Amino acid sequence: MIHDEHFGSPERRRTLIIVVFVMFAVLMLRLYQLQLLYHVELDKKSEENSVRALVKDPVRGYLYDRYGKLFVDVGPSYSVTLVPAEFEKRNIALLSSILQMEPQMLEERVARARAYSPFLPARIKRDVDMRTLAAIEENFTTFRGVSFQVESKRVYPTKAHASHLLGYRREIADAQLSETDEYYRPGDLVGVAGLEARYEPLLRGTKGFEYVSVNSKGQIIGSFEDGKRNVSAKEGSDLLLSIDVGLQALAESLMTTYSGAIVAMDPNGGGLLALVSKPDYDPSIMSGVTPADLWSELQSNPAKPLYNRATLTRYPPGSTFKMVLAAAALQEGIIDENYRINCTGGFRFGNRVFKDLHVHGSVNVVEAIQKSCNVFFYQLMLKVGFDTWTEYGRRFGFGQTSNTDTGEETTGLLPSTEYYDSRYGKGKWTQGFLISLAIGQGEVGVSPLQMVRYAAALANGGTVYRPHAVELVRNKETKKIEPIPRDSSLVGLSPHVMELIREGMLRVVQSPGGTGALARIPGILSAGKTGTAENPHGKDHAWYVGFAPFDNPKIAVAVMLENSGFGGAKAAPLAGMIMEKYLYGELIRNKPKPAPAQKTVARTMTPATH
Amino acid sequence: MFDYLKEYFDAKALLICLGLVILGLFSVYSATFDVGAAAAFKKQVVWAAIGLVALFIMAFFPLKTLQRISFPLYILNLGLLLVVLVVGERVSGSKSWFGLGGSGGLASFGGQPSEFAKVATVLALSSFLARTSITLSNAKHLMLAIGIVIVPMVLILAQPDLGTAVVFFAMVLPVLYWAGASNFVLAAIVAPIVAAAGALFGTLVFLVSLLVSGTLLYLTRQNRFAVAVAFGLTLAVGLSVQAVYERMPAYQQKRISTFINPGSEQKGAGYNVYQSKVAIGSGGFFGKGYLQGTQTQLNFIPEQWTDFIFCVPGEEFGFVGASLVIGLFTGLLLHGVNVAGLSKNKFASAASIGITGIFGFHVLVNIGMSMGLLPVIGIPLPFLSYGGSALVANMSMVGLLMNFYANRKEH
Repeated sequence: MIHDEHFGSPERRRTLIIVVFVMFAVLMLRLYQLQLLYHVELDKKSEENSVRALVKDPVRGYLYDRYGKLFVDVGPSYSVTLVPAEFEKRNIALLSSILQMEPQMLEERVARARAYSPFLPARIKRDVDMRTLAAIEENFTTFRGVSFQVESKRVYPTKAHASHLLGYRREIADAQLSETDEYYRPGDLVGVAGLEARYEPLLRGTKGFEYVSVNSKGQIIGSFEDGKRNVSAKEGSDLLLSIDVGLQALAESLMTTYSGAIVAMDPNGGGLLALVSKPDYDPSIMSGVTPADLWSELQSNPAKPLYNRATLTRYPPGSTFKMVLAAAALQEGIIDENYRINCTGGFRFGNRVFKDLHVHGSVNVVEAIQKSCNVFFYQLMLKVGFDTWTEYGRRFGFGQTSNTDTGEETTGLLPSTEYYDSRYGKGKWTQGFLISLAIGQGEVGVSPLQMVRYAAALANGGTVYRPHAVELVRNKETKKIEPIPRDSSLVGLSPHVMELIREGMLRVVQSPGGTGALARIPGILSAGKTGTAENPHGKDHAWYVGFAPFDNPKIAVAVMLENSGFGGAKAAPLAGMIMEKYLYGELIRNKPKPAPAQKTVARTMTPATH
Repeated sequence: MFDYLKEYFDAKALLICLGLVILGLFSVYSATFDVGAAAAFKKQVVWAAIGLVALFIMAFFPLKTLQRISFPLYILNLGLLLVVLVVGERVSGSKSWFGLGGSGGLASFGGQPSEFAKVATVLALSSFLARTSITLSNAKHLMLAIGIVIVPMVLILAQPDLGTAVVFFAMVLPVLYWAGASNFVLAAIVAPIVAAAGALFGTLVFLVSLLVSGTLLYLTRQNRFAVAVAFGLTLAVGLSVQAVYERMPAYQQKRISTFINPGSEQKGAGYNVYQSKVAIGSGGFFGKGYLQGTQTQLNFIPEQWTDFIFCVPGEEFGFVGASLVIGLFTGLLLHGVNVAGLSKNKFASAASIGITGIFGFHVLVNIGMSMGLLPVIGIPLPFLSYGGSALVANMSMVGLLMNFYANRKEH
């Protein structure tokens, strides 16, 4: 009995059916949009949601010395980790005292970890010692969520520190993090000095990833797709060094009382045999985490143990630089071996008198090197001219970096006309400036690394090599051993010029009363040059450069001792022992049978020089 | 025998309902797979069984008796709503629950009287409209009809449960339309809703919504006095909603504000919608496979087994499964309108539309919010969402539709 004409009318029924269809269409269109049009994008989002990549750190490459001896190893390091969601706040005080860190700092780290994921273990302290681990084990039931993970750190199995050569790693700085590729994550260790820094991309290997499924809270549910997408970590490449670990250790022990540097190099190729800078530090204190106080102590120590004196100092070379001028004069034909001057013990230039230590009388170039006659070189400088001197200095590698692989280095300072013009103004400097340069004093500044390169060039007949510590890289993935390309350049000296200069250097060491006599090696001829760098701030710096054996040089060495006085007295004996150790494999001088080598000496030396 | 069945037994409604219930059981099992699946699933199966019993009772209940007892039933439900307000348990901020063990959530066994209030209100309203003396052009009768709906609605709002309260509005509109209400009457009901909704979006939107409401009323060409009264009412409702909104619990304010700017907080209130969209979208055409949906299984969608259950078929059965769900619901709605049209009994006819309206609103709003089309106002998806009272109430309503179908030729 429907009274109302409108009640359930066909139009109203039709309208409602249309409403239902419109609703159906709207829902289906949206469904189509989400599931078919946006599927790829939303599927990716869903995967990002539920899949986490756990980083698997690769094993860092090992370092071996020239004889295949393990130099830098990798060992276990224990990091304390904590799952923020499980950790009870009331344990902060106890845990911080065990970890020896400020409670606020611990709280901060827990908070930061919680922000990342409350359910994933986060590293709270790196490289803890066994005592700390034991203390944590003892409180295992109290410390819910606290655990440790094994990571790798550097281990130094030899007696050598080689701290400046090897360098160290630190947690990557935020600034560096933003400028490098995507590889690094906060908390990663990255090489910041020495070989660790230079070869970081080769040493570090490649991180692996383990993909796990997580739920909405970040709890790990299990492996993702049965681990099909996991990428295993790739081990870092090994570095095969030219360094002789035994030699390095000896050089360091010889330097314990000095501040300075010793650099030894293979003159046939430029491979470094030892690189010592003193004072240094034990690199194992930097292998895991360096305590802040220790780090600031290293940085503020007035002896500057972090400063690499082998590559960064810039002192005048003193008389060791005289061969540059001799080479320039001989090679340019300005003088020959018969050119002589009479040394009266002083040289007047303008109204100034430049003194010599002795009155040497009549000397030629060989004798001038042997006796280190300043007057000879004062006069020679004026004959050769500034620009030619600068040119030969440059050819020997001074005033420029050597492109070594051992880390930061100085260009040194090789004065030139342009330099003086810009420094003092055109015409405002005189030839008098040059007199000091002739004997390696004044503004010329060199590093021990540059000096060993120079010594090597004098040893090998004029080839200037790029000094390098790494000879070969062993890729553990491809099992291939690849050489590091070595560069070299020629000074351009004729054999005759070389012979004269080397003769002078031989006499420095081997002739009776030679200034470098303390660099003699039992049974082997050695050649070299002493130097003393005038130091306006204190005691002079002692220099020695040399090589051995004379006829077939296998080692070149540069020694620089800060504030130690005469090169011949202090630096030369160290150089002698270094070369002896390298050539014999041990120090034989204190052994009962020192082989007399006088015969060989006599054969090589020209009688006229006595 | 078969012809008799075809004539008097509404197999279509039953099959659609059973299809949805089974899909629902699968979905609940999947959604609660690692958070007490066995317990939740078993309980839902028990509720489905109880629902089936309720469905058959409703399907075979004498129609005349039903019509007669609809008012007492309605009064009884109002009483229950009052009682639950006083002694009910608070579940996620609302007092809407009779606890019979445990305290809400998956582990408890209880009842929500508001679910049954929907059915009782539909029946009472239909019974009222079916009276021969009643005509909707009479303002007093109209007010009474609206009053029948307003009373339980206010009680439910007081719990406070915004979502369920809104359902009452969605139900009354098609019923009045069906019963022959004029355009002006419908506009006078819709206008305050538009104004109320506008009031939540700030002053500018509120003013625009008032303008729209006014225009709507004006276009019905009713006399100016009536339009003025209706507009005044609209204004009053809008202003009071604005006042109420400021006193609302924060979570409901947040739900509303999230709708205004859904992308704003991925981990905040918009998080559910975002994760829900990701779940459905990542399902693709065939889905990730049953129990293989990462969004569902790894609990990326909070409380998924209730309001966001649509993600389960969406993610695990893909476009195929989700379309099936939407298709079954559409079939049920069309069937409901059909039964209403066939019914010679005014009470049955109006009640069919009321039931269809309730289902339609739930489906549209729930699936719409799961797909990020509509605001998250927390109403479940019939037959699929976890929850006993709703399942029993919804199955009872299908039983009623079956009843009305079987008795369609009765006056």
